Amino acid sequence: MPIPITQYNNEVKPTWCKGCGNYAIHIAIKKALGELDIAPNQTLITFDIGCSGNGADKINVNAFKGLHGRSIPLAIGSHLANRKITVLATIGDGGCLHEGLDHLIHAIRSNYDITILIHNNQNFALTTGQATATTLEGKEMYGLPDGRPEREINIGELVLSSKPSFFARGYSGDPLQLTDIFKAAIKHKGCSVVEIMQTCPTYNRESSLEWFTERIEKLEKPLLTINDARDTVLMHEKIKTGIIYTDNSIPTFYDRLENRKNSTTELIDEVKQYDISKLLEDFK
Amino acid sequence: MSESRLIIKFGGESGQGINTLGQILSKSIKESGFYNFAYREYPSLIKGGVASYQIDISDEQIASSSRYCNILSILSKDAIHDYLPSVSPNGVVIYNKEDLELSQEENNYIKENNITLISLDTIKMALEVQGIELMANMVLLGFIWKLLGLDTKPLEEIVRDTFKDKNVDLEAEIRCAMVGYNSNQIKNDVLKPITFKPKMKWKDSLNITGNEAVALGAISAGCRAFYAYPMTPATSIFKYLGDTYKKTGILIKQAENEITAAQLVMGSMNMGTRAMTATSGGGFDLMTETISCAGISETPMVIVLAQRVGAGTGVPTWTGAGDLSLALHGGHGEFPRCIMSVSNPQDAYTLTQEAFNIAETYQIPVILLTDKQIAESIFNIKDLPKPIDIERGISNGEYRYEITDSGISPRWIPSINNPTYLQTSDEHNITGESTEQSNDIVEMSDKRLRKVETLREQIREPEYFGSKNPDIVFVGYGSAGNTVGDTLKRHPDVGYLHYQYIYPLKYEKIIEIDGKGARIVLIENNQTGDFGKLIKQESGFEITERILKYDGRPLFLEDILNFLND
Repeated sequence: MPIPITQYNNEVKPTWCKGCGNYAIHIAIKKALGELDIAPNQTLITFDIGCSGNGADKINVNAFKGLHGRSIPLAIGSHLANRKITVLATIGDGGCLHEGLDHLIHAIRSNYDITILIHNNQNFALTTGQATATTLEGKEMYGLPDGRPEREINIGELVLSSKPSFFARGYSGDPLQLTDIFKAAIKHKGCSVVEIMQTCPTYNRESSLEWFTERIEKLEKPLLTINDARDTVLMHEKIKTGIIYTDNSIPTFYDRLENRKNSTTELIDEVKQYDISKLLEDFK
Repeated sequence: MSESRLIIKFGGESGQGINTLGQILSKSIKESGFYNFAYREYPSLIKGGVASYQIDISDEQIASSSRYCNILSILSKDAIHDYLPSVSPNGVVIYNKEDLELSQEENNYIKENNITLISLDTIKMALEVQGIELMANMVLLGFIWKLLGLDTKPLEEIVRDTFKDKNVDLEAEIRCAMVGYNSNQIKNDVLKPITFKPKMKWKDSLNITGNEAVALGAISAGCRAFYAYPMTPATSIFKYLGDTYKKTGILIKQAENEITAAQLVMGSMNMGTRAMTATSGGGFDLMTETISCAGISETPMVIVLAQRVGAGTGVPTWTGAGDLSLALHGGHGEFPRCIMSVSNPQDAYTLTQEAFNIAETYQIPVILLTDKQIAESIFNIKDLPKPIDIERGISNGEYRYEITDSGISPRWIPSINNPTYLQTSDEHNITGESTEQSNDIVEMSDKRLRKVETLREQIREPEYFGSKNPDIVFVGYGSAGNTVGDTLKRHPDVGYLHYQYIYPLKYEKIIEIDGKGARIVLIENNQTGDFGKLIKQESGFEITERILKYDGRPLFLEDILNFLND
């Protein structure tokens, strides 16, 4: 039985701008959890700093709003302690590709069983529109009157170069597809990375709904090879959305821990006093 | 003088097997019924440089090193220049066959102090009894054993035990040790026999480092995850927990950096397990933002800060205690925290367990200070203390950040059986909702800081050792305190006030001692007297007389003896 979306609502009013992509993303997260029958208290979402992070107190789940760039390691620490709780890390393009880029790469190569949702609105919006690594090269931005002087990072290309076990791309203008992507990402056993292209009507007017509508094409099914997936995410004229690439052959980090293979409990169940007398024999 | 010592030092290059030599000798001495404390100096290099391994032997429990040694064994030619000045009068220097190139000054030192030089061709001796070149160190070991005048049985036992699982010719190793022991180069006038009596209690004692005791404390306390990133001198905690992980089931993760390690601890502790990380000053710098986050979000954390000397990279493999201010102030904003300082394996074991209890009960970051001299030196201890009962302070409530008199709000574990809540680094109201309201900010800030006062009530007073009517009372913590402790055995007119809990600070005893008219002397292994500054900040009392040492070396016994004799 799906859980109604209202169960994930609380009384706190959203503070996002009118037309902000975060409304749809937030609803899609709630809808995906509900349809997968994952109750609010079976979920933990870590939030970053920025507009995506401002959603932390506007959803009824277990949540931890941490620091800028750190929602991924915070989610990993949470996941390793208790795998019975579904863990999602939300983060913006600023936090993910600047302050916390190392965490993204290492999370993918470790393949923890968590879901990472990268909200890509191509700027630091909460601090009023500075350039991020996804802002187009040459675009005029806050404090950069002659345009940003660096090339941009393509999130899909970056993620695929780290050999992920799951990569998908969604769009805040299509919350139904986004819900399906989130559901697949949560169900996938391993580190699922989802890039969400997000409209920002205040600081990224160029990437409007119309602009996206002209370019977006849905993928029917994931690409079969990582090279095809890379070619697909690098397309300029079209933006492909959907599940881009999956590889179910990569074991998760936890499943590779030899000393945890036969354990039937989670780390949270194991806090008690341990007798060290046998270990002390080695010091005699 | 009620405490006697005999001191042996090996000097050579990194990679010459000095550690193995030192460990076998140390264990054999223990097996013979003597206490010993082993201290290592080594360069931040894999091969070469100058390294040493010093064993202070005593009949009593000691926890410090002497500046001088009675027997110096030189494994590489250059080490003589570094360590000759540490040989005490009537001492013995054993060196390999090649000629030593000594300066006039060095020759004078040898003459003036009546030091005997013995050249020993250990490789030739090893080959003569069908050993191999690599066994030359065993010849040396046998030779030193004879100088100490000890029975060969414990030595043979330890050698056999050390090499039993290794692919070596055990009988040849023993033959090499014996050829050293029976060398005709040993004359009666160079013997350095141990003159004090063996005690059976030391035979059964544990041979353990401070870091191993921290790791055992974590295991005992139910720490189920260790998040590592290598940094001397904290790294051997990672090694011990990793080496024992199949027995303990602890999850080991080497993180991509210290920021991650700290975040993983915070995430795991928030979910309701116990987790820890360990680092040194530079890594701790990176963890400070997370400590600040744990402070405002009221998330338990335990971090070991194993200190070494210097800013920047400093002198990575040498000791110091210059990071107290960092532990006290690291992290932006104002929030409660607890700082403890270990000084030996016994209190490392106990304090690590208490760190988890306090972190969980008070929902604060706890920083456990240690330093290289404690972390890596090998202590003999009779046993570890009894384990501490686990206290977690987990309770259900209506609001996660409820305002309370104690400052402690209800904290429950995310679970299918419990209501959800938001843990947050934003300033928040009682429900966790972000706030910018002036009264909310003040109310929540006050609530959090009340935890410091509640904690101050609970923690132990500093412990006083020594004279009831002292002329001088030292105040200190960490490894510097160990040296003072050893001095007390020789100076019954001296007192020592030893701190385990650094913050919140209990300072009343200092005021009380001052009121009785004793001279108060601050002792710290740093340049600016961090702890003295904290005492002044908290109590208004300034300790003007100070012993401060910041040359990368620990406080040696003679540093304090000389101070007292001046």
